[in-house]
Amino acid sequence: MGEYRTQMKIIGDILHTTRDDLQDEDGATVTYLIRKANISHSRISRILKTLVSQGLLEQADSQGSNRYKISPSGREFLQAYNSFTKFADNFGLNI
Amino acid sequence: MEFLLENILNLVGFLVGLAIGVMSYIGFRNTGSPTLFRLTIAFLSISGGFFVIWSGYMLEDFVIKSGNIERGIQTVGIVIQTVGYFFIAFSHSIKSFFPKSNYFRSVGILPFFLVSTVQLEHIFRSISFILLVYGAIETMLSYRDNRNKGAVSVALGLALLALGEFLGWYSFVFPESILYTVSMTIKIAGLVALFIPVSKVPLKKIKFDDDLDKI
Repeated sequence: MGEYRTQMKIIGDILHTTRDDLQDEDGATVTYLIRKANISHSRISRILKTLVSQGLLEQADSQGSNRYKISPSGREFLQAYNSFTKFADNFGLNI
Repeated sequence: MEFLLENILNLVGFLVGLAIGVMSYIGFRNTGSPTLFRLTIAFLSISGGFFVIWSGYMLEDFVIKSGNIERGIQTVGIVIQTVGYFFIAFSHSIKSFFPKSNYFRSVGILPFFLVSTVQLEHIFRSISFILLVYGAIETMLSYRDNRNKGAVSVALGLALLALGEFLGWYSFVFPESILYTVSMTIKIAGLVALFIPVSKVPLKKIKFDDDLDKI
């Protein structure tokens, strides 16, 4: 049975991919993020839209497709996310 | 001796609860995580509960000087702490804590109006014990998944608080025995065990960011 992931965990996975696991310098395509984050197109579209509007991801139009890169705010958020994931882990909880 | 230990316990409980509560709140502000919000309420309640009891002892020591803490204050502190323990357990997804029937819901609260503060104190101590045992078991089970040693320390802390709560309740049967002193010492050890892994979480570069609330 697959592990249940919270919305926060999915956001963390997307930000991790855009920071550490990019295909090239232009950023990650939606298809690549879907494969890495393992969620549906409609759901990732909503999440990406929110992350861009909150300034955590930067969106660029490259080679005819939207590409996503992590922003400086996104890096800060990810750092906080990682720290508080460890914090919540101590209580046996997922953030 | 008991009075001194009681003061140390309540002061340590207040400070540990406040520290973990504030860290949870910073986490909630930075990530918007509902889990961290529940932990914030839990630990600020626990801290508040200990503070109320500590204030009661201080009031007794410096103002009233009757030799015994006001029972009502002690009960209020324990009730506030129980709310905190409930939120820790609730974070582990208690799905059927409250009865579903409206009749049982309305009748369920009735006994609280029929008992004295002494009895109320024991009822809430026993509820705290159950919630702490539940939290300790769930936290220990999570160790199987994440192999995080901090979870063992938190589980041990919750278990020691539960044991302390049980012995504190049991000392009611043997009022002049050493049980109450042992119970308070165990509770202090539990609070320390709870704080050790949390103190190791690196929070140096984290700052508040209001724009992240809507994630």
